[in-house]
Amino acid sequence: MRPIKATWTVIAAAALLGIAGCETAPETSGVLEEARSAVNAAENDPNVTKYAPTELDRARKLLTNAEGAAKEKGAKDKTAAHYAYLATQMARISQQRAQEQVATARVKSGETERQKILLEARSNEANQALAAAQQARSEALSAKAQVEQTEAEKQRLAAELENMQASQTSRGIVLTLDDVLFDTGKAQLKSGADRSIEQIAAFLKENPDRRVQVEGFTDSQGSDDFNLELSQSRADAVAMAIIRRGIDAERVRALGYGEGYPVASNANAGSRQLNRRVEIIVSNENAEIPGRASAGQP
Amino acid sequence: MITLNGIRNGLWCAVAFGIVACASTPMPVEKLAIAKTSLERAEQAQAAQFAQIELNSARNKYAAAQAAVDKKDAEVAARLADQADVDAQLAESTARAKQQEQLVNEMDAGLRDLRNETLRSSPGAAPQVPQPATTPPQP
Repeated sequence: MRPIKATWTVIAAAALLGIAGCETAPETSGVLEEARSAVNAAENDPNVTKYAPTELDRARKLLTNAEGAAKEKGAKDKTAAHYAYLATQMARISQQRAQEQVATARVKSGETERQKILLEARSNEANQALAAAQQARSEALSAKAQVEQTEAEKQRLAAELENMQASQTSRGIVLTLDDVLFDTGKAQLKSGADRSIEQIAAFLKENPDRRVQVEGFTDSQGSDDFNLELSQSRADAVAMAIIRRGIDAERVRALGYGEGYPVASNANAGSRQLNRRVEIIVSNENAEIPGRASAGQP
Repeated sequence: MITLNGIRNGLWCAVAFGIVACASTPMPVEKLAIAKTSLERAEQAQAAQFAQIELNSARNKYAAAQAAVDKKDAEVAARLADQADVDAQLAESTARAKQQEQLVNEMDAGLRDLRNETLRSSPGAAPQVPQPATTPPQP
């Protein structure tokens, strides 16, 4: 490697010396012109005046030397050509140094930019986390509000149930539907009962642990068999109406007691009407509805 | 200054050539040393990779300057040494500028990626591709 390189260097040197031998031949004015335009280009580059003023100054001085030598010794002078060459190279150096400085400044500002982006990204993440936390909180609040609303609705329904001719007994809440809701001798429930049925169904939906027992009664008119069947049919009709509103059939029981358990004497029309009735007993929470005491049987 | 240089060069010549008589013009030893330093700086700045033409020119002229010294041509040696020096400086500055330029390009690419990355990870942010400047004016 070394001997080859050395040989090559010697050859190159010889070649250069050969050129140097006829150095006087080329026009200096061309080299001088090149130097002028190189220095001019550097002068017009604002980055050079900003970042490489020393090099530019050196290039100017070298150009002045070249111009002086050319003036003194003619356009073909070796010294003039030499200084012109140095001026050209120095002008190029000034531009390269300026370019390097510009690039360095850009790298620096790029680093600042990178930090800024990272910072923004981090604050974005923080904002997102904050927003998520706020949303979670508001969701929790609305869930709580919903629970409270459901609770209020339950209480409202319970209160409504109490208001409907209902009374709290040891067996549960007892609601009485009177006979005007049925035609005489028929088990077809009339539309007048809809509101009461609706409310009971709503209450049962809100309170899934409660059950309901529908009991039918007649007055003492007519045969016992007929009355028993009629009371059962009427209780069934009411139970069906409740079930049709979306309550599980297992939670609804229908019983017919015929003319048993009268609430009045059956001695006159007014008291007989009181006995013709359907009672809906809503269980207490999680409790079975106790049967009627056999002592009450006539 | 000139006289001082002359004396020093003269002394150096006396030491170097011993009994042999000194050349009338002193050899540009200092200029050669300066050019050599500049060459070394250019090589360290990876000019062989980034400014090959300039570096080759500097090396050739330096070699020619040494050859001129061997031929006792002080004038040519001085000129060639000076030219080798500026060529080496140009090689060095060109190499440095190019490398820095490369850094800028890498940085720009990195910033572009980073921007896209952060935009992608934040929902509801602007789309990855920047909007063209020629968006129709809003009514």
